[in-house]
Amino acid sequence: MSDRWLLAGWLTAVVGATFIHDPVWLSGLVAFVLAVQIRSAGRILARAMLAVAFVNLAVSLAWILQAAVQQQPWLELVLRLNLRVLLITVLTFSMVERVDLVRAVDFWPSLRFVVVLALGQLRVLDRLLEDYRAAYTSRSPTAPQLRLRFAASGRQAAALFDKAEQRSLELNQGMRARGFFDDRR
Amino acid sequence: MHVPDGLIAPPVYFAAAGLAVPFWIVAVRQVARTLDEETIPRMAILTALAFVLSSVMIPLPGGTSAHFSGVGMLAIVFGLWPAFLAFSGVLLLQVLLLGMGGITTLPITALSLGLVGGSVAVLLHRAFRARNAILSVALPVALGVVCAAAVMALVLGFQPAFGSDANGQPLYFPFGIAVTLPVMVLPHLAIGAAEGMLSVVALRFLHRNSAAALLDE
Repeated sequence: MSDRWLLAGWLTAVVGATFIHDPVWLSGLVAFVLAVQIRSAGRILARAMLAVAFVNLAVSLAWILQAAVQQQPWLELVLRLNLRVLLITVLTFSMVERVDLVRAVDFWPSLRFVVVLALGQLRVLDRLLEDYRAAYTSRSPTAPQLRLRFAASGRQAAALFDKAEQRSLELNQGMRARGFFDDRR
Repeated sequence: MHVPDGLIAPPVYFAAAGLAVPFWIVAVRQVARTLDEETIPRMAILTALAFVLSSVMIPLPGGTSAHFSGVGMLAIVFGLWPAFLAFSGVLLLQVLLLGMGGITTLPITALSLGLVGGSVAVLLHRAFRARNAILSVALPVALGVVCAAAVMALVLGFQPAFGSDANGQPLYFPFGIAVTLPVMVLPHLAIGAAEGMLSVVALRFLHRNSAAALLDE
């Protein structure tokens, strides 16, 4: 199946899942989606549970507490919300593992171009940030004070802005030199 | 401030998408008009910048930290529309590459953090620019974060109105505005203040580097 159709299928499934409220259906669908990709099911389930744990735990525990105080039932809502969010997250991680984003957006050349460039630049900026962090960690044998942590984070953000400006200029000049903008006119 | 898919009712996220589309169109036109042929590479790099900026940690007291959103700083440096577009692109990449956030909640996050947060930052920055350099960055960025959190709290707090089952249990996010507003806004007062201060520090380093580069030339 092409990446574009996988992406469209995932989007439809996510929207569809937000209309399902019955915990039995939702748990059945989680099991079905995992069964379809049995080899990677364990990994995807673990990633999905980790990704939703914070929000789901916070909402569920708060709701259980409120229901206990008001002596109201709580189980159905907790199951419904957790299973729905889990189903959608499992669907999303399954899509992330299968879809090549660049191929999925190749129906629109300008969008594909933005995606390709953004992904490339993302690696450059991410590596810069990692370098800054590694240097900061190596210079800090003990836990640094709040003021120093602010200065380090500020330097990281400033370096990213600086590098992005520089890359934007370089990229634009490189593209102009190769006639890219002439071809697009 | 990422809200996962499944907590927001379809009428709300469809309405948010309907509301966001005209703003995205305006943003694309504004950016294209001001940046002409450089638009594509510049927007790509801004998107990458906004993506990586969200990995910068805001130090909080007690050794803890929060993620920098960077929207206020991007809006002040590059303008509202490029920042809004870049931030929307980041939300999309986060869902499609990392599975973070949500695709149905993307327009809500883009509108609250990108548009409302960015607008507040830009407007207040313009108002305070002539008076105080530090205040004209710290306050707009901080209030942008708090306003965005308030909008998100309102959206979440309206969810119980969108249906309940036979037992009267909500179908989507269960808490009303009386709960969501303080729970979202109060922590974001601290996060906003820290993000404002971090933006001041970052812009100061940025200006110092730019001045040094000019001197080198």
